Amino acid sequence: MLCNLVPIALSVGAPRIVPTRGIQFPTGDPSLPPAEERAWRRRLLETALRAVSTAVGGPTLFDASEAAEPVAS
Amino acid sequence: MTLRAVHYLNQFFAGIGGEEAAGSAPARREGAVGPGRRLQAMLGDAVSIVATVHCGDDRAASDPATAREIAALAGHADLVIAGPAFTSGRYGIACARVAAAVVAAGGRAVACMHGENPGVAEAGAAPVVLSLETARGMEESLRRLAHAVGRIAAGEALSTEDHVLSRAVRGNRLADRCAAERAVDLLLARLHGDRAATEISMSDFGRVTPAAPVADPAHAVVALLTEGALVPHGNPDRLESARARRWLRYSLAGRDGLGAGEFESVHGGFSTVLANADPHRILPLDAARELEAEGRIGRLHDDYLVTAGNGTHVATAAGFGVEWAAELRRAGVQAAILTAT
Amino acid sequence: MGPVITLTCALPRAGVAAFGGPAYPDPNGMVLTATALAPRRALDRVGPLRRFVHRVDAVSLGDHTSLRDGLLTVGAAAAEGCFAGPALARVRISLVSPGESARIVKVLDAVEPRTKGRGGGGIFPGLLGRLAVQGRGPLHVLRGAAVVTAGHLPRAQEAVVDMSGPAAPLSPLAALHCVVVEFEPAPGAAWEAVGDTLRIGALRLAAHLAEAALDEVPTVVVELPPTSLQRDPGDELPRVVAITRLQCQGAFKDVFVYGASMAGGLAVCLDPNELEDGAVVSGQYGHPGLKNPTYLFQNHPVLRALRARDAVDLRLAGVVLAPEPVEQARKELVAAHCARLCAALGADAAIVTKEGAGNADADLALTMDGLEALGITAVGLFAEMAGADGSGPPLVVSPERATAVISTGNYDEPLRLPAVERALGGAELSLAGTAAGAALEVPTAVVYGSLSPLGWGRLRAAP
Repeated sequence: MLCNLVPIALSVGAPRIVPTRGIQFPTGDPSLPPAEERAWRRRLLETALRAVSTAVGGPTLFDASEAAEPVAS
Repeated sequence: MTLRAVHYLNQFFAGIGGEEAAGSAPARREGAVGPGRRLQAMLGDAVSIVATVHCGDDRAASDPATAREIAALAGHADLVIAGPAFTSGRYGIACARVAAAVVAAGGRAVACMHGENPGVAEAGAAPVVLSLETARGMEESLRRLAHAVGRIAAGEALSTEDHVLSRAVRGNRLADRCAAERAVDLLLARLHGDRAATEISMSDFGRVTPAAPVADPAHAVVALLTEGALVPHGNPDRLESARARRWLRYSLAGRDGLGAGEFESVHGGFSTVLANADPHRILPLDAARELEAEGRIGRLHDDYLVTAGNGTHVATAAGFGVEWAAELRRAGVQAAILTAT
Repeated sequence: MGPVITLTCALPRAGVAAFGGPAYPDPNGMVLTATALAPRRALDRVGPLRRFVHRVDAVSLGDHTSLRDGLLTVGAAAAEGCFAGPALARVRISLVSPGESARIVKVLDAVEPRTKGRGGGGIFPGLLGRLAVQGRGPLHVLRGAAVVTAGHLPRAQEAVVDMSGPAAPLSPLAALHCVVVEFEPAPGAAWEAVGDTLRIGALRLAAHLAEAALDEVPTVVVELPPTSLQRDPGDELPRVVAITRLQCQGAFKDVFVYGASMAGGLAVCLDPNELEDGAVVSGQYGHPGLKNPTYLFQNHPVLRALRARDAVDLRLAGVVLAPEPVEQARKELVAAHCARLCAALGADAAIVTKEGAGNADADLALTMDGLEALGITAVGLFAEMAGADGSGPPLVVSPERATAVISTGNYDEPLRLPAVERALGGAELSLAGTAAGAALEVPTAVVYGSLSPLGWGRLRAAP
């Protein structure tokens, strides 16, 4: 799940969560120039692919903004 | 002595603006504003709403630190009153966090929202007065809120009879039968298909068992899903903008992108201007096709599934999830990416 | 109160087995009904348990033990003699009855007077009776009475029973005529020897008292056939197993099955009739509110509740006993083993109980999840620890997959108990720093059996 309101996703138990930058644009960032926004969108999807390929025990955050380890919640 | 209260409202009820003002910063105004005036009339002389603090929903809900900012703006109030937020998730979360922050700092606060608002889980030690579902129930919701505030002002304890959500205060009672007999009854209920009966809820929203990971995304069929209500321009199938009772399926076959003007979001829960300017901000088809072309995923599923996640009844949404999972599994999809707004 | 018509635990399905054995005088219309489903050949040979229940309505102390018309007279010398041995300097036998302004403090174990015949007849096998499989033949029960040991032992946590007042509905002992045994250890006696002597003594006294009923007309007779551990052909009723987890933490925190601790063991399946004959005896004295006394293994609440519906809307499929290990890997093993055993019994569902607090909750949660993973519906009995004001999270450890949970009450909720005229078990209540009979404010957890993990109690926490 790609979303901005991470606490809601955690409370409903979504197992794999990728935080986004805004409610109105889950796979976007209008503050960026178009090419960079597309690059951010791509990074979000790649993070999503990483998430679905990772075994998780419960709600886990996957951060697209760095190559970080997933954080279990 | 009159209780000095500060009322928290979102940008809409404070009269600042609609969704376009959802990012507005916290600010304070003297006296009661909007529904606060009606609330003040109901409260009479015992309580005086000396100020109103307002903030944009997006700003309040997306940054946890904003709640403390808002609580600070409320200053030395005898009581902070937040809402009613009805079923608005962002507003409810904001109200709950503000109330929780005030109580955690030693003050008194009460939040008001519908029982299914996700904000109820974030109210901490602050009481939550149950409102009706929508702003059409403002009068009754304010009446309940005024009643609860009145009891707080009088130093009386609140209970479920005051429409206060009994969030997790559990008291001992003597049941009519012993636990062993109740256990047998519960067991028979479960065997006969009741999947929810229990005396202690594990959590309000149930548990989700994580699916096993996809072994190799490069060979996986991946689907795009959204609750951002992205539909073909004109909303030909009339997807609801709120409290959706349906979901829809649209084909992506042969498409590399979603043009502005071809698709639109009919979501009633946020401003759709930015999404309509570039629908990929809701459904990332362009990036998904790139990954497909590069062999990072096996194939993009031909359809996308969509609903509007705005005030959706929890049970309805859970039902959609079950249906989507069933459809996707039948279609041979291994992984799904759901964008949420 | 006169004799009552019998009930049987299962309806006849194919034919009626005759009731054999000695006939009892029947002036008041005592009826013995038939046995269960046509049993398999091997179970035929095991035979039923016949429970002869004798009602106790009053107790008194006297020279000789007798039971007549509901009055149990406890022979003082014989009772004290049950505890004779080098480890105890002396014991004192007292009686308390329901409704009295009386309190028992430092309660240890409670045992229902039961015997299978003169000299015990094999009751409490492995501890009092000889080591042999039980669960069949005659069993005489004094219903409405209990032998209660009270006093200090190491690792025991102070437990309170009030025979009247607000705490009375919270303890199984408050509704019973209690034969209370207080004791003084002999100088230099090892505490373990003190504990053993008390335990065997209580069992001996329980059997001795029940023996007084052997020549009396029972109030009720119940015939309990052996439980089939397999689904009979054509039986469509859901099969339900009672899983009972037992403490096994060594001295003063152990539970004995046929006289032995289950520490280090796996799950075993017993016939519920074996528990009737005293196969499970408590040696565990911690956690008063979460205590499973021997009395409640003899009168297992979950088994009783399942028997009441047996052959009606479920089939009682056995009782699984398993230890509560104190180490995570073994906890997972035993929980999975319980689930596997239930699957082998053809169970459709199981009710899981524990003894103890948070540590035991982990065993409960793991077992429930293990059952659900095998598609067996699981219901667990949990006490809550929501804090004194009830606002904390109810469960210390909750299952991840299973969600059907019964509440046995909030451990932490405070109780105010009035002063009482008489207190037994000790002169002081150390945890309150007061005289034992004084007015008290204590958490619910201090009342003996108040959060009964076996499901005896009516207490539950609710919003």
